[in-house]
Amino acid sequence: MSYVLRRLAHSLFVLWAVVTILFLMFRLMPGNPLAAYINEQLNEEDQRQIMAQFGLDRPLYQQYAIYLWNLLQGNLGMSFFRREPVWDVIVSALPNTLILTTTGLLVAYLFGVLAGAWLATKRGTLAEGVIVPAALATRAAPEFWIGMILLTLFAFTLGWFPSGGANSAGAAYASEWDRIFSIDFARHLFLPALTLALYLQGLPLLLMRSTMLEILHDEFITMARIKGLSPWRITLRHAARNALLPVVTAFALGLGATLGGNVVVETVFSWPGLGRLLVGAVAQSDYPLAQGAFFLISLVLISLNLLVDLIYGWLDPRVSHD
Amino acid sequence: MPRHASRRAILGGALTVSIAAALAGSALAQGAGDPIRKIVIITDTQGAMPQAYQAGQLIAQEWRKLGLDVEARPMARQAQTDLVWFNRDKWDTTMWRMVGRPERSDPDEMTFNLFHSSTAPRGFNFVGYNSPDYDKVAEQQRQTLDPTARQALIKQAQEIVNRDAPYAFLLHPNTLQAFNQNVFDPASIVVQKGVGIRNFWTFIGAAPKGAQKAMIINSGTALQAIHPLYIAGAPDSWMNELIWDRLVRIGPDGLPRPWAAESFKFVDDKTVDIVIRGDMKFHDGKPVTIDDVIFSYEAPLKTDKSPMFKPFVTDIDRIEKTGDRSLRMHLKRANAAFATTALGRVFIVPRHVWEPHLKSLEGKPDTLEAIRDPANVGSGPFKQVRARLNEEIVIERHAEHWAAPKVDRVVLRVIPNAEAVVGMLRSGEINLLSEYGGDPDVLDKLAKDNAAIKLTQVTDVGIEFLAFNNRRPPFDDVAFRNALSAAIDRNVIVQAAWNGYAVRSVSHVSPAIEFWHARDVKAPPTGLDVAKSILDKAGYKVEGGKLRYPAGKKEALQPPG
Repeated sequence: MSYVLRRLAHSLFVLWAVVTILFLMFRLMPGNPLAAYINEQLNEEDQRQIMAQFGLDRPLYQQYAIYLWNLLQGNLGMSFFRREPVWDVIVSALPNTLILTTTGLLVAYLFGVLAGAWLATKRGTLAEGVIVPAALATRAAPEFWIGMILLTLFAFTLGWFPSGGANSAGAAYASEWDRIFSIDFARHLFLPALTLALYLQGLPLLLMRSTMLEILHDEFITMARIKGLSPWRITLRHAARNALLPVVTAFALGLGATLGGNVVVETVFSWPGLGRLLVGAVAQSDYPLAQGAFFLISLVLISLNLLVDLIYGWLDPRVSHD
Repeated sequence: MPRHASRRAILGGALTVSIAAALAGSALAQGAGDPIRKIVIITDTQGAMPQAYQAGQLIAQEWRKLGLDVEARPMARQAQTDLVWFNRDKWDTTMWRMVGRPERSDPDEMTFNLFHSSTAPRGFNFVGYNSPDYDKVAEQQRQTLDPTARQALIKQAQEIVNRDAPYAFLLHPNTLQAFNQNVFDPASIVVQKGVGIRNFWTFIGAAPKGAQKAMIINSGTALQAIHPLYIAGAPDSWMNELIWDRLVRIGPDGLPRPWAAESFKFVDDKTVDIVIRGDMKFHDGKPVTIDDVIFSYEAPLKTDKSPMFKPFVTDIDRIEKTGDRSLRMHLKRANAAFATTALGRVFIVPRHVWEPHLKSLEGKPDTLEAIRDPANVGSGPFKQVRARLNEEIVIERHAEHWAAPKVDRVVLRVIPNAEAVVGMLRSGEINLLSEYGGDPDVLDKLAKDNAAIKLTQVTDVGIEFLAFNNRRPPFDDVAFRNALSAAIDRNVIVQAAWNGYAVRSVSHVSPAIEFWHARDVKAPPTGLDVAKSILDKAGYKVEGGKLRYPAGKKEALQPPG
């Protein structure tokens, strides 16, 4: 129990550190949000008024105190440029982002785990000679490049899929759920999710394969062979289950990172998600929006990290916290 | 013997030269001042604006041939603005641009705001150009209502700027756009001077040929707000001006024409009579009254709750209601550009929606920009269906408008990938390319291979230029500025950096606005020889390969850090 408390306190400390760094980072970066308001008729008084509206005329420590106090109450503030609550702005982009990134992640891990387990049994064969370099190459290729190749082939040339966006122009739906479960949405999702999956599959595949290779030499596997179990049963039921542990950690961290979206894929496929929103916020010095989005991402990452640490003992009884 | 003597003479000569060279740096040397410090040209980053980046590199190359030590330093947009705009005495030269906007079809903004000394401390005259001659002309053109007389003054302003070279004018970019002529009747697509085909007149006039009744256009950046009192990015303004009407609109010829105002008339140079149309309705069915119009102007004029629109009404002293459909504006000072800069800017908003909001803000620091009308009720030719700022905006025709559009809808798609935009134009996912940031040749090829795609090209009202910091020596010297401007090879910049999709610029008034652009103001002669001779005449000398100030002048500044 004391471990859980210690771990929790540790996570809270990390979160506070992140929040403080975020606060300082954006204010110490060159540039200020006024730059976006450069207007031939904006005089000194107008500029002062805008800074006051944003609260940027106060000393830094006051801004920091206000920021922390609001955060404790769950208030992320107002976006400087959208003039809407940061939470509303983020929530509007969140569903698209979560669906794209979790789809990509799930496909990548499902494929990676199965292919990795299978490859471990094909040591020294032609399949290994072809698939491992291929997986490495797609992992190393820039996402925008993979994305553009897929777009050129399947959208521009063959016309099988649309060239961008999350829905067809002007398409209307009764609800957000109807939109997400429409065929139109799935058609738009296909190429960006595939790009992301191709980019992400390398890690689980190679991780699974190397862990499997170690485990396949363990005594309990030899024992299973002696018992006369079928090779598939040994691979899946006995070896793969044990090899999954590091993959679970990687998956959890990957899941945390999905919240931030993926700027490159979102830009190539004009996908209206959080990644592009974030980049825009940083470029414009929209401090509240950038801080709010990074705060949520850190919150999820830190929580998932904590969660994985805590459930590890349950997943692998050999791990003990005491 | 003679050989010996001549050798000694040569040795002696060489000795004299080397002593002179050694002394040149000291005050003892005659005829030249201190060597000029390293000059920094701030450019955009290659990623953000490759053309300007390349132009900066090309300019640096030419200037080095004059004996200057030059660094072309790319900076992120934010950092560049911070330095140039908010630290006005800390930089030497920078690549900069004025983008084309419909209201810049009136030359006042470019003439007055860019170069009048009053805007030097905090306004748009960030180069710190200060010329009493120019100030006088800039003020006069503003007060001269007669177009022909004003035209002469605008020409005079161009001549002075051309002579004094506060900037090195480089070029006016050409705007490339395209549309699908299988979807729209080409005769119904309007090309607006300096703006191109994505303009108000196309949106209301485009005639669909077949079943596709929606106009689908693109924007490379996300929107910030659909809001009649908030000035945000360019695509926001394309939508805003379709949802909310204005008393006056800028015509395809670049000149203001009556719109929601049936007529506007200057009684004298400080009094304007306006009569509004009687057949206008807001999208919620309520009629547009003279009180709505007065409210729309008085909200920024009389309160501090609409700061973004305040600059447009600063010339107005008061507004008097003179009838059910008429009003009179009394101005504080004459302004020849008033129809464009005030009547053509302020949106008519429904008083019944915004007055309660205005009241609710009394005594609070917030302003109307932070308030949202979810329905976005206006009286323009289109009404809002929905706005997902990161994704797409959908507006539909307001059938009861007196100039109702021919298309059913306009859909604005946010598409940051410039290459995908070309694919979408081909596949019909968009049918009017409203802006394009990719390789012009790709678009050109698409139009050649595909009969449905019609490419259009217009010269922009905007300008690309290199700004000299007129406050900092040696750029405070007209001759030095002229020489450095003359050394720039603009043809190379147009061809290499802009792929030929631009025209050379000679002043701040683009040839796109024909009436105001003075055709006979010619570019001063250019070339390295010209530059060297200007420098030589002004006393700048090259010694030891380094360009020096005229005699007696010290270098007091450091290059920007």
